[in-house]
Amino acid sequence: MAKMNNIRLTVMAAAALVAALGVSSCSLREDPYGFYSGDNFYTTEADARSALLYMYDAITYIEYSRNIVFIGDMNTDEIHPKGDATASNKDLDGWRLNNLKTNTSLGNFFKYSYITINRANAIIANVPKMSMDQKLKDQYVGEATFMRAYSYFNLARNFGRVPIHTEPVTSLDQTAASLPASLDEMWKLIISDLESACSLLDYFDKPLTGRADLAAAQGLLAKAYIYLASAKEHGTPFYKDMALDVDDYYRKAGEWAAKVVANPEQKTYGFDPDLLHIYDVQYPDGPEHLFIMSMDRSGKEEGQFSKISKMYIPYIAGGTVYLRNQSSSALEPTHDGFSEYQTSIAFYDSFESGDLRRDWLIVSEVYDADGNVVAVYPGKLSYPFCRKYIDPFFENEKTSTKPYLMRYSDILLVYAEAVGNTPEGYAAVNKVRERAGLEPLPAGLNIADFRNRVIQERKYELAFEGNICYDLRRTNSIHTQVTTAREQALSAEDVVFYPIPSIETDLNPNIR
Amino acid sequence: MKKLTAIITGLLLIMASALPAAAQKALVKGTVSDPDGQPVTGALVCQEGTPGNYSTTDLDGHYELSVPAGAALKVICMGFKEQIAEIGGRSVVDIILALDTSILDESVVVGYGRVKKSDLTGSIASVKTEQLINTPSNSVEGLLQGRVAGVQVINASQDPGSGSTVRIRGNSSLNGSNAPLVVVDGFPYGDAGNLSQINPADIISMEVLKDASASAIYGSRGANGVILITTRKAGKNVTRVSVRQQTTVSQTTSELDIWRDPVLMAICANEGNVNGGIAPKYIGETDANGVYYPSINELLTTWDSYTEWDKLVLREAPISDNTTVTVQSTNAGTFFTLSANYFKDNGIYIEDDYTKYGCNFAVEHKVWDFLKLKASANITQNRRHNNNGLAYNRNPIFPVYDENGEYFLYSNQDYYHPLALTEFQKNDKTGTGLLSYVGFDFTPTSWLTVTGQLNYRHNESIQDIYYPKKYSLRGTNNNGMGVISNAKDDNLVGEIFANVDKSFGKHHLGAMIGYSFETYESRSSELAGVDFVNESLGNQNLAAGNAEKYQISNGLSATRMISGMARFNYSWDDRFLATATFRTDGSSKFGDNNKFAFFPSGAVSWKLHNEELLKGVRQLDQLKLRLSYGVSGNQGISPYQTLDRYGQHKYWYNGGWQTVIGPGYVSGYTGQSGIYKLWSGISNKSLKWESTAQLDAGVDLSMFGNRFNVTADWYVKRTTDLLRERNIAPSSGYDKMWVNDGEILNTGVELTVDGILYSDRDWKVGTSVVLSHNRNRVVSLGNSIEAGLNKDPNTGMEFEFYGNQLEQFRGYPNILGIGQPMYAFYGYKVDGMVQSLGDGLSSGLMGDDAEPGEFRYVDLNKDGTIDEDDRCIIGDPNPDLTASLGFDINWKRLDFNVFLYGVFGNDVLNTKRFGNPSNNPLRWTPDNPTDYYPRLNATRQTRMSDWWIEDGSFVRVGNLTLGYTQPLSRTDSGRKIRFYVNASNLYTFTAFKGYDPEVGLNGIYSGGYPRLRKWTIGIDFNF
Repeated sequence: MAKMNNIRLTVMAAAALVAALGVSSCSLREDPYGFYSGDNFYTTEADARSALLYMYDAITYIEYSRNIVFIGDMNTDEIHPKGDATASNKDLDGWRLNNLKTNTSLGNFFKYSYITINRANAIIANVPKMSMDQKLKDQYVGEATFMRAYSYFNLARNFGRVPIHTEPVTSLDQTAASLPASLDEMWKLIISDLESACSLLDYFDKPLTGRADLAAAQGLLAKAYIYLASAKEHGTPFYKDMALDVDDYYRKAGEWAAKVVANPEQKTYGFDPDLLHIYDVQYPDGPEHLFIMSMDRSGKEEGQFSKISKMYIPYIAGGTVYLRNQSSSALEPTHDGFSEYQTSIAFYDSFESGDLRRDWLIVSEVYDADGNVVAVYPGKLSYPFCRKYIDPFFENEKTSTKPYLMRYSDILLVYAEAVGNTPEGYAAVNKVRERAGLEPLPAGLNIADFRNRVIQERKYELAFEGNICYDLRRTNSIHTQVTTAREQALSAEDVVFYPIPSIETDLNPNIR
Repeated sequence: MKKLTAIITGLLLIMASALPAAAQKALVKGTVSDPDGQPVTGALVCQEGTPGNYSTTDLDGHYELSVPAGAALKVICMGFKEQIAEIGGRSVVDIILALDTSILDESVVVGYGRVKKSDLTGSIASVKTEQLINTPSNSVEGLLQGRVAGVQVINASQDPGSGSTVRIRGNSSLNGSNAPLVVVDGFPYGDAGNLSQINPADIISMEVLKDASASAIYGSRGANGVILITTRKAGKNVTRVSVRQQTTVSQTTSELDIWRDPVLMAICANEGNVNGGIAPKYIGETDANGVYYPSINELLTTWDSYTEWDKLVLREAPISDNTTVTVQSTNAGTFFTLSANYFKDNGIYIEDDYTKYGCNFAVEHKVWDFLKLKASANITQNRRHNNNGLAYNRNPIFPVYDENGEYFLYSNQDYYHPLALTEFQKNDKTGTGLLSYVGFDFTPTSWLTVTGQLNYRHNESIQDIYYPKKYSLRGTNNNGMGVISNAKDDNLVGEIFANVDKSFGKHHLGAMIGYSFETYESRSSELAGVDFVNESLGNQNLAAGNAEKYQISNGLSATRMISGMARFNYSWDDRFLATATFRTDGSSKFGDNNKFAFFPSGAVSWKLHNEELLKGVRQLDQLKLRLSYGVSGNQGISPYQTLDRYGQHKYWYNGGWQTVIGPGYVSGYTGQSGIYKLWSGISNKSLKWESTAQLDAGVDLSMFGNRFNVTADWYVKRTTDLLRERNIAPSSGYDKMWVNDGEILNTGVELTVDGILYSDRDWKVGTSVVLSHNRNRVVSLGNSIEAGLNKDPNTGMEFEFYGNQLEQFRGYPNILGIGQPMYAFYGYKVDGMVQSLGDGLSSGLMGDDAEPGEFRYVDLNKDGTIDEDDRCIIGDPNPDLTASLGFDINWKRLDFNVFLYGVFGNDVLNTKRFGNPSNNPLRWTPDNPTDYYPRLNATRQTRMSDWWIEDGSFVRVGNLTLGYTQPLSRTDSGRKIRFYVNASNLYTFTAFKGYDPEVGLNGIYSGGYPRLRKWTIGIDFNF
């Protein structure tokens, strides 16, 4: 009996042991598997580089990469959507104010600006804590700071004051940021970010497609200063009340632009005398491109590859067509397109005669492989189309055509506008005109006329590159110069900003 | 002769000394009768202790048996208690048998223990599987249809190896699982639906835990109810071999909806094209793809090429086979069972089949009286050769082959040639499953049992797929695509629990306290090669694909859970019973702030029949009232949802695709054709389980010697903290995150009645009726802005679209609406057909929609135009009532069973109500200006409307069995042979116009093929 009891005790002890082992072996901590998170990332230099490129990747997504361009064009008299275009494009084109709060293009533009900002904030917050080469750290943080400023710059130009995030969002209680108290505060962040980026960054040895360096930061800072200076000068609503000195800001714009266009230390970028070379899909690392989106036709999904070409090209016959290279006379193949962004005929007709930017960069005749004319405008070609986005090496729908985010010539014209009717100013704008095959500007213009002529020049030089709308905005002339706005008799206040999208105002209690 | 006499005398003496009583044998006779005085036929009357000496009662209940003086008689008869009668020197012994009420004394498996059935306080239903398995099935759940009140089983798919949808007391989760937890021999196996690991023939009992008092012991997985399955048998002291063989032949129960008359087909097609503004096809011309479409005149006269695709594509009578061999053996200390199963199910489509081999081994050994060791292993392998969904309705004028002897394709986007796909496309899946355990029962004293168990499950599967270059969409897009998918999961559960059972005077106390831990890990990988030069190898050599286009993905998810549980049963004077259960679950899936969940429940019960007042009522065996309340959970969270999560992508940089990583990952898509990404990645440290609180009131009544039993229950089941994604302000850089928000309510009543209608010595007629009614209602979907809810402009009802879009209607047919049942249909209302253009325009229609013969919609908001604001709730796919009626009739050795199953008051969206051979000819035409069918129109943009909704009520003769049993031994009733014929889905009564109204929970009928009537011939051989 005693033996039996011993056995019982042993069995009980064993059971207790099993139970105890069970308890101790079970931790409820969850370790991520197969995905990265804040726990297992930002450890090596490769992580930091990968996070940096993830930030740039945000601007390539299909919902954003097109918008970033056409939101600067579609709402002007430069391009119009096709007849059966989406409501979103038609609302932008028609300045239908009631629909803009729920406009999907604006909503995506808003959302992806913040996705970029959040990715930038994560770099700004995490990379300084890593142990890696200080120079590289500065560069990565500098690029992230530039991209944050670039995104807020885009947001501010379109929406005015927007919620400010300067820390990565990691929990729900951070998701209801409020608006800055004033437009001054909004722009203060952009300018200080760009100044800080300028202090952290250096020039690349050669242009790196899909990344930005000191020149881009300096260029953007110049653009920011001139935006505010001209907006206040033209009495644009809200801007006119900003506490800034117009002349001081023009001066600063000139100084920062000079660091790009009149700076012997800046050897990476320059003026490309060959007009067609600027838009040659094979040379995204050409001297003009301070900042250009990175896309390649070998990508798997749209965004990785580009279909922007098809937005501008009209539908012709559903197959390959050929364009004449007006410089070399060679025929270059391309697919035809969707007729989405149709060149306004009034805009086409408004070019000075002999302007190569029309004759070479806007196509009015397409051919077959043997050089026979397939369609011409006016005629079977429904409109003359922009050929800044043409990839002769296209693979079906896929191309490597890339949105031009900031060009040397843009900053050169900012410089001209900033320094005004000075010899330097004339030289800068005439350089651009000369490349386009045009005469220099008449001498002796007063400063206001001179600046207007430079802004005119920007319209033709930067056509189809997402620029015109912002020049109209800052010169307080959307309601006077955009037909659809004028026809509705919209006021300057109506058009100065887009409303913040309802997807934000519905969900963010602090800006409701 | 003298010598012989001496020897016989000697032998008799020896026998007399061995069996001293034998010498004084006396003949005893008498009558055996039941409590009502009716004679009992076929009862076995034997000498107690000497079963070899027996007799059986005749038609009048008489028996005669020679027994030694002083011996006792033992009477054994099915349905009655065994009875021992002392002879006491009498020569006539009449015996009155008592009815066997052991049904109430049986113990029932509850979570982590057993309880006497009469002492149950919760709502638990036991299922006898004996009758179910007359119909062969891959898994047991499908057979449960209509058998248990409150359990809804939908067998929407009839494909080989397919599973069922099982719901206990309605749906209560939007994003988590709604399937009950299946527990096999104590092992929490997972969601009910396709328990193919367990051969239904191996199951001896199933218990369905419905209310919170019963299911809360399974804590965070108990909210959807629990099905407990017991496969082990504690056999008698014998060795038994049984062989079950079933052969099934299937046939379709309705005509195929295909064109038999090409002329009518062509007329309809041309009419549809012309009405739709496009050129008619059947005009005797070759189309852009080079396919010649004859004119109608040609079809009427000279055309002689017809293909009867259904004859080529469908099996006329698919045959299935199910064989189980079981060996069981028991002696004083050891019980062992070994069974093997072969199951082969051929689908209706050619070369579509499923094969399963299973082997189940279990052993129990009593080491000492107080310690029993147990072990088992269950291994299955299944192979699915998937060739379903072939186009048996292909155009009959298309030939099988073209003039070159290749498969005829009507365009280069013809991905539907059934024979080409059968030959070149491959989709095979092989799965292997192991379910095993070791355990012990330790009983140191009579009132304490400690049970420990370690369960291990392993499943793996490999799927081989090849999409040919020419005949399939994916193959064409990728120039041939081969895929190999691997999946494997491991699940280990250890548990130890102690049961105490003790009486003190009128008090009886039972208690269980236990602990369990569980780890689960599943891994998967998928390899795909595309762009094959030569596709003769299929997916055998993926490396032969284009080296730059390999596609690789893999995943792992691991979870851990630890739990403590306790149950206390108390009863006083066998009149008042109370049960309380508690469980705490800690799960790695829960957020850091909510790692542990606590689930309590309580129940009380009053045995009225033991009250003095009712004790005198002889007919009353049981009258018990039950009341329970408790909380259980649903762990609908996927692993890692509470963590912050980064995304990865490929970015073109420096001449190559760089892997880039950072905050935010793509968790979904939205927008037109789903090109806009949705971003998630913010952690929610407070994310937790969904909670279901359930109140249940029930009554159990048994009368007339348990010949008439009623169980009725009423319940209210409220699920809160629904797991759902909320929208976040985009300025955060994210779109979505998981939160707990929202509420669903299920209320219902259940009634089960069974009884023996009539019995005598030859006849026994039993019946059972099961009725269930459940009402499901979405109470809240959380904050309407955060949830992004739509608002019905006419009623103000907030809702969101739910489930999948239907291409046919370019939208979602189902919604979740506040105050509405889940899956409610939302759309327009149709008021006949437009009869003239003026009629159409004045009805608020525009353009082509206003043409005569189009649908005329009701202008709900009376604004003069038909638009999205004219939509409303137009149907509810949830049934008002599910019911079944069963009859068991035994006559001598014949048994007959019929089982009717009915579903009432559910709506079905019949997407095939128009546009198909059976209904196209009924179309509106100027000569037939009907209000019931629209005109044919090939380019109509059909709106979701109530026109497509039909009453899905049906009554099905679900099961009919006729069997004959031949005993093989007079002493061992277990040795017998049974032959039977079973018919399932024999006939369906319904007004539904499609093949069959039994469709999934969302109520969407999409055609498929007719319900199969299955004829089974079976033999059970036990020796």
